[in-house]
Amino acid sequence: MISKEDIEHLKDLARVEFGEEETKKLAKDMQDILGYIDILKEADVAGVASASWRMAYSIDLKNVFRKDEEITHPLPPSLIDSFPEKFDSGHGTYLKVPAILGEKSL
Amino acid sequence: MTITEFHDALKNKKTSVRETVSVYLDKIKTENKKLNAYLEVFEKEAVAQAEEIDIRIQSGETPSGLMGVPIAVKDNILIRGHIVSAASKILGNYVASYDAFVIERLKKAGAIFLGRTNMDEFAMGSSTENSAYGPTKNPHDSGRVPGGSSGGSAAAVGGGIAMASLGSDTGGSIRQPAAFCGVVGLKPTYGAVSRSGLMAMASSLDQIGPITQTVADAEAIFNVIRGKDEMDATSVELGGPTAKRRTDRQVQKIGVPREYFTDGLDQRIKKAIDGTIEKLGKNYEIVELSLPHTKYALACYYIIVPAEVSSNMARYDGIRYGVRKEGINLLEVYKKSRGEGIGLEVRRRILLGTYVLSHGYYDAYYTKAQKVRVQIKKDFKEAFKEVDVILAPTTPTLPFKIGEKAKDPLSMYLSDIYTIPVNLAGIPAISLPIGWAEEEDSVKLPIGMQIIAPHFEENKLFELGKIIESWKQ
Repeated sequence: MISKEDIEHLKDLARVEFGEEETKKLAKDMQDILGYIDILKEADVAGVASASWRMAYSIDLKNVFRKDEEITHPLPPSLIDSFPEKFDSGHGTYLKVPAILGEKSL
Repeated sequence: MTITEFHDALKNKKTSVRETVSVYLDKIKTENKKLNAYLEVFEKEAVAQAEEIDIRIQSGETPSGLMGVPIAVKDNILIRGHIVSAASKILGNYVASYDAFVIERLKKAGAIFLGRTNMDEFAMGSSTENSAYGPTKNPHDSGRVPGGSSGGSAAAVGGGIAMASLGSDTGGSIRQPAAFCGVVGLKPTYGAVSRSGLMAMASSLDQIGPITQTVADAEAIFNVIRGKDEMDATSVELGGPTAKRRTDRQVQKIGVPREYFTDGLDQRIKKAIDGTIEKLGKNYEIVELSLPHTKYALACYYIIVPAEVSSNMARYDGIRYGVRKEGINLLEVYKKSRGEGIGLEVRRRILLGTYVLSHGYYDAYYTKAQKVRVQIKKDFKEAFKEVDVILAPTTPTLPFKIGEKAKDPLSMYLSDIYTIPVNLAGIPAISLPIGWAEEEDSVKLPIGMQIIAPHFEENKLFELGKIIESWKQ
């Protein structure tokens, strides 16, 4: 059973917000989905070697190496345009992000 | 008009690219209000491109590749200079700064982009009702869903407002809407088409593919967009009969897995597929077989997908691009930006993924699911020792009514029960229309069937698909 506290903790971990009504329904939906996926408990996987599931990709992948070469990627102006907040510092465009230290932000 | 017919008409000077593109643009103006298949139409650009290609043809160039073909593109594939929103509010103003690999390839082949199509937000859904910009309607009955998540792309082709389109398929998002809209949808082998420039949903499963009117058209687009790309480490260059475009007979034995024909399957779909199998029985050996881990596929998928989603969606934080909301501290900025900018289903999957990956639950859920995934893959491997291809229904039901499953996520998830195993195994499959079913209100709804082949053997799908399709004529 997934508790109310679990849901609140998960919201913080996942950095998402849900409204009050959404949260109520969320607990029920999560319970339904987790109840359904419980069917996996009965699946017999004793024969699956650990090496194979750790690389459980849909095609058989192998490591591919390329040369360690320096490539310059031009910075398209549209990449900067799409940044939510920016300003001209007088010597180039600065991108503005919220403060990560202390309580003061934006 | 199909791509093949269009190119024949161009060669015989029966039409021009400009004329054909204008027909589509005019039809979009009247039809899109009803269907809501397009989120944006690139009218001016499409006309300019069409005129340019007409000049090339007039000066003696023979129409080849996808020259002049008007294509609609799912809103999670980047076209440089255009908004690409994944039908989400958080990316409502986001402009792509580069072309996806498939877009680069299509541009080189001369394709024309009509616009970007509606979808379930970030490709999470099976009905296109999860779009932040309103649901798309089924072209055969506006009260029903077109399927999803590539619902806009499938409805555009099914509704005659695109010659072909691109979609993406993580658990059936090309094939299920193709079946619901009466068109052809191809999910290529994982790795056959580069994912560079496709917004990541579940990276170990996502694959771009075409939605078209005919199998030959799907093959034509696939041959343009496939191939190795430096920007996607999982992409590979195709070898073997598919790459060589072999035309000698590759399919002799057809497998029919009994797990796909159980009680949950609509009897009308079953009847149509039984009829197809009976007809094929005259020229092919039909083998009944078992894929014993099929019953675990959906549960396995709904652990692996949310797990990958919770990681992939972390980038939409309101910091780098999209919409940023204010808050008293950084955590609140994140939570508010994501809470208001991202829709309910996507947030639900982020939370579910965070849960199944968290300490104490990881082994019971994620590790177990990965192991089951190996078993599902093994089922197909064993089956393909006996048969060349496998036939199965694409969907358990006919297109459902708008709103019918929107409130209950689990019932929505179940609509992908027949398409998901293919993604988990990474093999290719094509859905094609095989008939119609009549509803009580005398509405006729399309029935889809999928053909499944081993890794990188798309050629088998095209071969058998064309034969089944030819019966219609």
